[in-house]
Amino acid sequence: MADAAIHRVAATAAVRAPIGEAAAAWLLTAPAIVAFVLMLLVPTIAVCLLALTDFELGVPTFQFVGLDNFAELMRDRNFAIPVRNTAFFVALVAPLSILMGLVLALLIEANPRGRTFFRAAFFLPVVSLMVAMATAWQYLLHPTIGPVNAILRDLGLATPNWLGSSEWALISIGLISIWENAGFNMVLIMAGLTAIPRELYAAAEIDGARSAWARLRLVTWPLLGPTMLFVVLITTIRAIRTFDTVAALTQGGPNKASELIVYTIYREGFTYLRMGYASAMTVVFLAVVLGLMALQTRLIERRTHYG
Amino acid sequence: MTGISVENIAKRFGDVAALKGVALDVAPGEFVSLVGPSGCGKTTLMRIIAGLEMPDAGTVRIAERDVTGLRAADRDVAMVFQSYALYPHLTARQNMAVPLVMRRLNGWQRIPFLGARLPGTRNIVANIADEILRTAQMLSIEALLDRRPGQLSGGQRQRVALGRAIVRRPKAFLLDEPLSNLDASLRVQTRKEIVELHRRVGASTVYVTHDQTEAMTMSDRVAVMMAGEILQIDPPERIYGDPADLRVAAFVGSPSINVFDASVETGGRVAVDGYATGLATRASGRVVFAVRPEDLAPDQRVGMPARVEHIEFLGESLLLHARHARTGTAMIARLDGRERGAFAVGHDLLLRPDTARAFLFESGGKRLRAERMAQSAAEPVHG
Repeated sequence: MADAAIHRVAATAAVRAPIGEAAAAWLLTAPAIVAFVLMLLVPTIAVCLLALTDFELGVPTFQFVGLDNFAELMRDRNFAIPVRNTAFFVALVAPLSILMGLVLALLIEANPRGRTFFRAAFFLPVVSLMVAMATAWQYLLHPTIGPVNAILRDLGLATPNWLGSSEWALISIGLISIWENAGFNMVLIMAGLTAIPRELYAAAEIDGARSAWARLRLVTWPLLGPTMLFVVLITTIRAIRTFDTVAALTQGGPNKASELIVYTIYREGFTYLRMGYASAMTVVFLAVVLGLMALQTRLIERRTHYG
Repeated sequence: MTGISVENIAKRFGDVAALKGVALDVAPGEFVSLVGPSGCGKTTLMRIIAGLEMPDAGTVRIAERDVTGLRAADRDVAMVFQSYALYPHLTARQNMAVPLVMRRLNGWQRIPFLGARLPGTRNIVANIADEILRTAQMLSIEALLDRRPGQLSGGQRQRVALGRAIVRRPKAFLLDEPLSNLDASLRVQTRKEIVELHRRVGASTVYVTHDQTEAMTMSDRVAVMMAGEILQIDPPERIYGDPADLRVAAFVGSPSINVFDASVETGGRVAVDGYATGLATRASGRVVFAVRPEDLAPDQRVGMPARVEHIEFLGESLLLHARHARTGTAMIARLDGRERGAFAVGHDLLLRPDTARAFLFESGGKRLRAERMAQSAAEPVHG
């Protein structure tokens, strides 16, 4: 009799548990799913759909135009320039800010004295408001009253119009971005450095790695691999989406010399109110970014996977 | 001729004196264990010998050469770390190659691709590959050479770490708790293998462990460390049978030695709560009387009164946990396992120490040379 009771309890438990578990799982993941759908999936799909229309903000009707927006994009010189600018910008900002972040992190980690101060100092650009910082940069880089040119003048060097000339505007924006991203990368790399077991350095020393360079090559660099993968990805993304510096300092000028893709999208959508066309740009932009990420992840992961 | 010799080593970390003037000599080819509880300074001493830590005072010599001021890379030492410290991105073969490559190739020759084209590189690299293979055969890890540490089990990683240490035939070989991350059965097996390996390699070896069994079973000599000092350096049998300090006696042996407060009475006779132990000393006042569990046995006529509190049957032996009837001192007697039926919890009995094998210590812990009284000399001495 007792046996039968136990079987019954076991049977109900066996039947009820999976349903209960599944329901609980859905319930627990529901907030994340709702947020993901509402905040990411729906807007992305909306942009993809808008890209197929001639929707303009303020115009009551709009039509489905198929791939016309994309066809226009291919011929549009106003889109080709920012694409080229952005490619140059990323190629300048990403490697230099990663290298600077790495050097800063290694220097700060090498000597614990003043570590907190330097870490905070170099991280400041990340936490400070870029638009506010831009004002400071505008002053620093001012062609006549700016301290940068004052120093160059005293040294007898050329004094370029940093933000106002078409040769220098994009490079200036790039230097400001490097300044901003280096601190961010430094903090990420420092976190990666602290995760490297101390004993590996002791082992390297015993194995005869005399120079700091030898230890960097034997231990630090390979073990920083996973961190560097993340740093490369995040820096590339941050560089591609640079907007605020451009908007605050040059508005893409002079003559589109410093115009980056996100700024072009913003102008199409919010100045010329051509939402359909801006959406098409966004879709292309998104596809390029995703492709780039996939490529980087595949390339780097192959070299940092320790199994 | 010495293999490793440290003299008068002192080291402080802030306010804490980690080592207080430690001296240690290891003969060429000798295996010496540093054993002690955690925090006793044994790992610090090993790191000082390795050159990973600089002493505040004292000298370190390896193979007759003063290396005190030299960094680890310039001393001829190899070390096996507790965590093995294998390079996770390199295969076992590459891990073992590191110490050889670092020492035999210069900076230019180590540059990838380019270095291989420089004169001489090819020959050196071929030799290195040979030596790795020979060492791997010695450790039977040839089949694992192309795996990364992440693909190896704990025991296999440990072998690779050993391989990386012995592949370059160092003068001094340092092991820092190399077995503590292995499971119990593997530990017993690896213990034996390390000793055999040591015999074949023949380098002076310092082995740090907190496990007295490892120290006792593996070493030529054992150095027992406590609170930054070496209390005694002796062969295992003397550490056990002739301890110089109460802390040594208490640390070595399981279950731990029985310790009794004793007083010195007229004629130097030592008594534990009125029981005449049969030992005498020239010291006066309070002393400590200690006897190992196997040297304490029930007796019909004389002994210390005790009540049995707990019995542990271990098969070949029997542990009788008892408490002194008056002082309440806990004691353990190790008896033949076949006597199991003779005792029960709650029984009162007399426990008699084997005077010939008991020790006397000052209340401060230092060993007192005891004299055996005439009366006990007449008693049969148990083998």
